[in-house]
Amino acid sequence: MPTLKIDGVEVTVPAQTTIIEAAERLGIEIPRYCYHPGLSVVGQCRMCQVEVERMPKLAIACNTPVADGMVVSTRSPKVEKARRAVLEFYLLNHPLDCPICDKGGECPLQDYTLAYGPGESRSVEEKIQRVKHKVLGPHIVFDAERCILCTRCVRFCHEIPKTGELGVFSRGDQSEINLFPGKVLDNAYSGNVIDLCPVGALTSRQYRFQSRPWDLVRHTESVCPLCSNGCNVVLDVRHRQRGEELLRIRPRENPAVNRWWMCDEGRFTFTYLHDPARLRVPTWREDGPRGEMAYDDLLLRVARAIRRVVEAHGPEAVGCIASSWQANEELFLVRRFFREILGTPHLDFRVRPVQFQPSDASEDGILRRTDKTANSRGARDLDLRPGPGGLDAAGMITAAAEGRLKALFVFEEDLVRAFPDGPLREALGRLDLLVASSLFPTETTALAHAVLPALGFAEKEGSFTNFQGRIQKIRRALTPHVASRSLPEALRELALNLGRDLGGIEPEQVWAAIGERPGPYQGIAWKDIGDLGLLPEES
Amino acid sequence: MISDETKKRFDALVKRYPEKRSGLIPILHEVQAEVGYLSPEAIAWVAAYLTLSPADVMSVASFYDMLHLEPVGKHMIYVCQNLTCSLLGAEPLIRHLEDRLGIRMGETTPDGLISLKRMECLASCGTAPAIQIDGIFYERVTPQKLDELLEKLRNGRLRGSRA
Amino acid sequence: MAFEKILTRYQDVPNYTGTIDEYIAQGGYQALPKALREFQPADLVETVKRSGLRGRGGAGFPCGVKWGFIPKDSPRPKYLVCNCDESEPGTFKDRMLIEEEPHQLIEGIVISSYAIGCHLAFIYCRGEFVSGAQVLERALREAYGRGFLGRNILGSGFELDVHVHRGAGAYICGEETGLLESLEGKRGQPRMKPPFPAISGLYRSPTVVNNVETLSNIPHIVLRGAEWYASIGPPKSAGPRLFSVSGHVERPGNYELPMSITLRELIFDHAGGIPNGRRLKAVIPGGSSAPVLTEQHLDVGMDFESLAAAGSMGGSGGVIVMDDTVCMVRVGEIVSRFYHHESCGQCTQCREGTAWLHKVLRRIEHGQGRKEDLDVLLDMCDNMKGKTICVLSDAAAMPIESYLAHFREEFEIHIRERTCPFEGRGAF
Ligand SMILES: Cc1cc2nc3c(=O)[nH]c(=O)nc-3n(C[C@H](O)[C@H](O)[C@H](O)COP(=O)(O)O)c2cc1C
Ligand code: SF4
Ligand code: SF4
Ligand code: SF4
Ligand code: FES
Ligand code: FES
Repeated sequence: MPTLKIDGVEVTVPAQTTIIEAAERLGIEIPRYCYHPGLSVVGQCRMCQVEVERMPKLAIACNTPVADGMVVSTRSPKVEKARRAVLEFYLLNHPLDCPICDKGGECPLQDYTLAYGPGESRSVEEKIQRVKHKVLGPHIVFDAERCILCTRCVRFCHEIPKTGELGVFSRGDQSEINLFPGKVLDNAYSGNVIDLCPVGALTSRQYRFQSRPWDLVRHTESVCPLCSNGCNVVLDVRHRQRGEELLRIRPRENPAVNRWWMCDEGRFTFTYLHDPARLRVPTWREDGPRGEMAYDDLLLRVARAIRRVVEAHGPEAVGCIASSWQANEELFLVRRFFREILGTPHLDFRVRPVQFQPSDASEDGILRRTDKTANSRGARDLDLRPGPGGLDAAGMITAAAEGRLKALFVFEEDLVRAFPDGPLREALGRLDLLVASSLFPTETTALAHAVLPALGFAEKEGSFTNFQGRIQKIRRALTPHVASRSLPEALRELALNLGRDLGGIEPEQVWAAIGERPGPYQGIAWKDIGDLGLLPEES
Repeated sequence: MISDETKKRFDALVKRYPEKRSGLIPILHEVQAEVGYLSPEAIAWVAAYLTLSPADVMSVASFYDMLHLEPVGKHMIYVCQNLTCSLLGAEPLIRHLEDRLGIRMGETTPDGLISLKRMECLASCGTAPAIQIDGIFYERVTPQKLDELLEKLRNGRLRGSRA
Repeated sequence: MAFEKILTRYQDVPNYTGTIDEYIAQGGYQALPKALREFQPADLVETVKRSGLRGRGGAGFPCGVKWGFIPKDSPRPKYLVCNCDESEPGTFKDRMLIEEEPHQLIEGIVISSYAIGCHLAFIYCRGEFVSGAQVLERALREAYGRGFLGRNILGSGFELDVHVHRGAGAYICGEETGLLESLEGKRGQPRMKPPFPAISGLYRSPTVVNNVETLSNIPHIVLRGAEWYASIGPPKSAGPRLFSVSGHVERPGNYELPMSITLRELIFDHAGGIPNGRRLKAVIPGGSSAPVLTEQHLDVGMDFESLAAAGSMGGSGGVIVMDDTVCMVRVGEIVSRFYHHESCGQCTQCREGTAWLHKVLRRIEHGQGRKEDLDVLLDMCDNMKGKTICVLSDAAAMPIESYLAHFREEFEIHIRERTCPFEGRGAF
């Protein structure tokens, strides 16, 4: 392995490593525009030039492999002049848009100009005028004046989704990024060009003008819940007068899961979290119409109803359908509550064909998976399945229809939608107790006696296990509604009402319990799950 | 849009090359000659023929001065504007052409007959100033000679190939 | 001084049209059988090395050395690509060679292909060479007909196909890797080097790119020997060279001469001097990318070394002569307009710098110059040189630097008087 010196510091890296990568290991960021580790190297922007001893010309760090004994300077006067020149050349035709540009505050052109750029413009030439606000597709708008022709967006479309919508048209300073006439940029991953664009040329139609980067109060690391791939993300949240608001989801690099990318569905589907139609307060319905009820009172009534059913028909008259939308910690507590505290074997989470192994598959060979929920793998690993003599989800519905099942808990699933054929309504109507949790009113909640508002993935702490088996943390980015409770809190209260102890409900405590049991997660503690997740077989 | 006969020629052409994409520019020349210019439909046809994305083909076509993405005249006059031709009278020649045709360089006569385009050195500097009409060189061009050429062009008596 | 014409000896044959029979009648296609019968490929590479032949396309790289870079053990096919993109302003010799003596080139291509183990070669003609390409196609058909191309050439077992491929109008496709991209059906954007084409060129395979004139020399070297060739001209610039002389001379045209000739001899003895009794003001000796020379340099030798020592370069052999009516700011405007128009646009410095140079020079020529402009121009040139994927950026900057070095006063007058002093005196 060659050893070289960068800015006086020695580093040893594998052969074939480029200078830009070697510098990264030392925490030295060499400015770059066209280079991106996930794309082919084109060496076009010339921003990353460094001085290498005994090389007559400056070298581009993004395409120069290291060599043993190499001495590199990223800050020599020659380098600084070359860098200043590149920035000066860029700014010749760059509009003075920063104050009104979505990228302002997180723009590599702005940042590098401040750090390395020319003080004043030496040009009196008129700037080239180009198209300013061209809608490229459902998610992206383009400002050609701001484009610095790094071609990252073009390479992305060619190399990752392989849809090739974008091209560089014309040549020289007439060059412009564009679509073929009549085409739109609407591949399933198009949003990534927003992150890739080092200037404000490609921006999000959704995020546009929503915020300035410095208004954001929090950048929370989490995981996308919209399919079993579990792409790592950052949730950008801003504090507003009417409360916190999730403004943007961005991918977070995880080489083993999503590299630098995420799909458009995961990126742009989140406004539901702020939808006024969401369920916010618990409701109860017995004989008359549904009414709001304080949480404690509601849980007392639910406990009473459970006790009645168990006393009259035994615990086998109670069933629970959990959900792969739920986090591992929730699932573990659900299982403990129903299997251990109540003692019923009727537990399942499978309400979609794709959840029966091995039907979850890659949708496109890129990231997207056919299981459109986050945590089927976690539910399987934690054994949210029928115990000995227990019924699966379909079986529980049949049993309810036949009057054998008297109480049913349904978490975050709309059974009416999941089992559209068959006498579902009648089955549910026959139950003595139907408890449903949900983000939104559904046909199932309409039939339920007790309805518990659920929390969205951005409102809870915990973990999902992606299809590979990688346990990945989700973190609370938004404070839940004051009237709501987390499911672990509700279950603990319910257990107390039944005179039982559910145990600790904080993630650390839940994992202490999970780790004690035999199974795929044995020996794992909450703190073992790092920023990039944990694959049990690797630990 | 492309005749079967032309397509057969393309099938033979791409076989010359180890990778068929190499046929792209020769094909674009011929399609342009057949269609008149590289319309979006023409580009899409070529893209489909070579299994490339239309944006890719457009990006290539737009790189080259002799491939036209907008409609052009039936005849194309290239005038060299580079150094030797300029030293020997290219600019007066250009003004003369513009006056005679009533259009500027880069434009097409309203009847769609003639387009004018400035070009860089045509490798004809020894006989400057030089122009090309439909691929044929005309050298040591004077305003008088130009008038004769335009006359012949209008009467269809100038041979040349747009491919 | 009388000099034996080699590449252009056909010019002394009356009514010569370059058909295969005419070519054979004056000794053509004798080198090919000799090469196939008497030489191993490696011997040919050695012979060309010893001949001292240097590339005529611009860089003057020793031809045999380049051939020697082709890896012998590579399992990939090898390609030879003849660079007939001839677009360097002031250069018009390759066009003459293909239109008037195409078989000399084809014979050179077959021998060179044999030397490097190539079985498929291309002649990349610039798009504007419509008739030149047709002449080559016809000549190729003739050569196939006589068994100089195709399977089992002259019974040697060696086989070769050659195709003509026309570009579509882009100077940058003369740069060898831009050419290869274009030949692969892409935008003619030069590639990063390394790898050089000899290692990874056309279709990622070992490839030699040689200029038309370079390859046209090969049959003569084979036939008459490396020593004979090396004895022509100065030791480091061996062999005849075609100089394309244009501009303000009595007899513009291509002159085949040894490179020991001086600039003065070329302009005044061969090209007949400056017309209309005017004085020489400036000469660009190697295509528009070459820095300008003036009267004081007239005795410089036209070999690669001497021109470099004089601060310019041999380049493409295009010699543009300008008399004392010429405004050097206008020359700068025209030359920079060219590079502005031709930059492929990948590299920031070149894409933006060529445009900026052009705009500033145009402004100065049109009386809108500012005092600061000249230093900004020089600094801009410095920022453009040695920092890009190919040397077009350097080629745009170097001439402008040289105009400022030799004619700074002229620029200052434009700025001071807010007008071009040459205007109204036949400024072009
Ligand atoms: C911008 C640029 C333009 C060039 N144009 C040509 C050209 O038109 N013809 C040519 O033979 N070489 C041209 N070259 C040189 C080629 O890159 C290459 O060096 C040459 O074809 C090699 O052949 P040779 O060794 O026989 O000279 C150009 C180089 C550059 C940088
Ligand atoms: S739009 Fe953005 S990403 Fe695309 S080339 Fe321009 S600057 Fe680069
Ligand atoms: S691929 Fe799946 S996990 Fe990744 S962003 Fe899309 S929906 Fe979310
Ligand atoms: S230097 Fe200019 S012409 Fe050469 S690759 Fe860079 S931008 Fe293109
Ligand atoms: S980052 Fe290296 S050239 Fe662009
Ligand atoms: S300058 Fe016009 S042909 Fe060369």
